[in-house]
Amino acid sequence: MIELKNITKIYEESKENSVTALKNINLTVKDGEVIVLRGASGSGKSTILSLIASLAKPTSGEVVVDGLRVSKLVDSFASAYRRDNIGIIFQKYNLIPSLSVSENIILPLVPLNLHVKEVEAKLESVLEKFHIVHRAYGLVKNLSGGEQQRVAIARANINNPKIILADEPTANLDEKLSLHFIEMLRELKRDGKTIIVATHDPLFFDLDIVDRVLEINHGVLL
Amino acid sequence: MRAKINMYLFEHAVNSLFRQKFKTLFVVLVLSTLIFLLTSVFFISNSIKHELQSTVDALPEIIVQKLGGGRHYDIETSSVDEILEITGVSSATERVWGYYYFENAGVNFTLVGIDEFEEQYKKSFASAAKELDFSKPTMMLGEGVESVMDKNYYKEYFNFIKHDGTLKRVDIGGVFDTQSELESNDVIVMSKDDAREIFNMSKNMATDIVVKVANEDEIATVASKIKLLYPDVRVITKDDIKISYQNIFDYKSGIFLALFVVSLFTFFIIIYDKLSGLSSEERREIGILKAIGWSVGDVLKEKFYESFIISFFSYMSGVVLALFFVYILKAPLLQNIFTGYSQLKTSFALPFVFDIQTLFLIFFLSVPIYIAATIIPSYRGATLDADEVMR
Ligand SMILES: Nc1ncnc2c1ncn2[C@@H]1O[C@H](COP(=O)(O)OP(=O)(O)OP(=O)(O)O)[C@@H](O)[C@H]1O
Ligand SMILES: [Mg+2]
Repeated sequence: MIELKNITKIYEESKENSVTALKNINLTVKDGEVIVLRGASGSGKSTILSLIASLAKPTSGEVVVDGLRVSKLVDSFASAYRRDNIGIIFQKYNLIPSLSVSENIILPLVPLNLHVKEVEAKLESVLEKFHIVHRAYGLVKNLSGGEQQRVAIARANINNPKIILADEPTANLDEKLSLHFIEMLRELKRDGKTIIVATHDPLFFDLDIVDRVLEINHGVLL
Repeated sequence: MRAKINMYLFEHAVNSLFRQKFKTLFVVLVLSTLIFLLTSVFFISNSIKHELQSTVDALPEIIVQKLGGGRHYDIETSSVDEILEITGVSSATERVWGYYYFENAGVNFTLVGIDEFEEQYKKSFASAAKELDFSKPTMMLGEGVESVMDKNYYKEYFNFIKHDGTLKRVDIGGVFDTQSELESNDVIVMSKDDAREIFNMSKNMATDIVVKVANEDEIATVASKIKLLYPDVRVITKDDIKISYQNIFDYKSGIFLALFVVSLFTFFIIIYDKLSGLSSEERREIGILKAIGWSVGDVLKEKFYESFIISFFSYMSGVVLALFFVYILKAPLLQNIFTGYSQLKTSFALPFVFDIQTLFLIFFLSVPIYIAATIIPSYRGATLDADEVMR
């Protein structure tokens, strides 16, 4: 369960150009729920995802995930939390272009120093699940946008996290690929994952797998 | 538990070095050049210091030269017996030596005359004396001389031009064993009579006189006694020579210092560039890694591997190159800067002194500094909020 308790986030707080990205946000997401966060550009969607992933800390308030106060974690615990619980699908994919598909996908496992067999098993399972086996050894920079996103999804899932955070996942995809992405989401929901999608793509607003659509406007949840 | 090397992390580090081919290549180039220079210079200067020491050790305690008008004149051999009378003197020997200009190569050779039965003031001359045929004009050559003569097709004999323009033929008896090469490389050894003939010196004259003193503490006393006996001589002690050698050496190593400073400067630019911050690409990559679950420690560990691999590789190649350059190639170019007591331009083999301390010193001057310069900015980058990757 993800709980955002009275969250306020102000960027550059001490400076004149401070931005209040979020104001008194309260939100609870149950396990296995699929949530869509909609809102205009700059409304604060990505900020919410960052806070849940513990990539940023709230100015005030608390983020609690399964009882763990993730907004209070120091770096080493925050990264362990992120590694074990969170898979992020970025709008810009955030792959390392000069590495191969497989190398990108196993990046989250690198610090764990697992046995080769274990790494290979995990890699194979996500390669198959997200249909990129045939591209496993190609360089990421040679892939199409849709393929790059599948690599990003595979990477987000290599550690089998409970929570998937997707930031504008279809912004760079045509309709056919967007529908394809939704099919993959469907599969992830079937696996019981908690999914939060930040988007302004109408494709998500009336989708059978989506449990709730929440609207955010200038940092305020409506 | 996780003490063992993380091969995935190591592989990632190697990969990222290969991904930045040109940057990696540049750093390796500068770093290994610097280490190569440093190591070579240290090796050579250590060897020369060692050489000088053994040269100085082999020197006679006192040299007596006759002066006239401030210039060095020949000295009467009769002085030898008088000097021997002085208490504390264990031996006194007249020397016949001088320079001979070898026009074909534009270099000076040092011509040294020796007697068959006298005590030689240098060990290498003693071995030359054994091989030299005193029955006819023959000479033994230092290695440098031999190779110069050989290049000019003087393989069996050489005609020296005397003061009156006539020629003196001297056969080449062979190469003599030079125990201290730096000193004897440009030397030709022949009988005193032949040398006197070439230098137009009469039989009762010598170039100078070398005096051995049994007790080191008495050198100064003996020197002043000789000075009293002959007011027109200059008495040079071992210490005086030591100082003048040291001066030559210090002057020559100054040129090296300049070379060294240049590469050090480049090294510091690299360090400065690293410390002044990460590129946006590097920052983004760190952000990605953190977003997918790497801790600051993981990022730093990866950076450690990266910088260790690159700096250790540079260190090793610099040292190996220096060893090869100094020991196998005999340090061409560099050696000429240090040596050159005579104008002899031929190369010769310095007996090199290998010293582990130098290698350690250079290691600590390069590898840890580079690693620190890589890790510090990465630490700063990795501890910032990683939410930049979300935008
Ligand atoms: N690191 C930061 N420093 C300063 N301001 C920031 C920072 N991150 C976000 N902001 C600001 O906070 C506000 C909310 O940003 P956020 O990225 O959460 O919006 P968003 O809803 O994801 O927008 P978009 O649809 O464009 O991605 C914006 O005004 C943005 O400029
Ligand atoms: Mg956003």
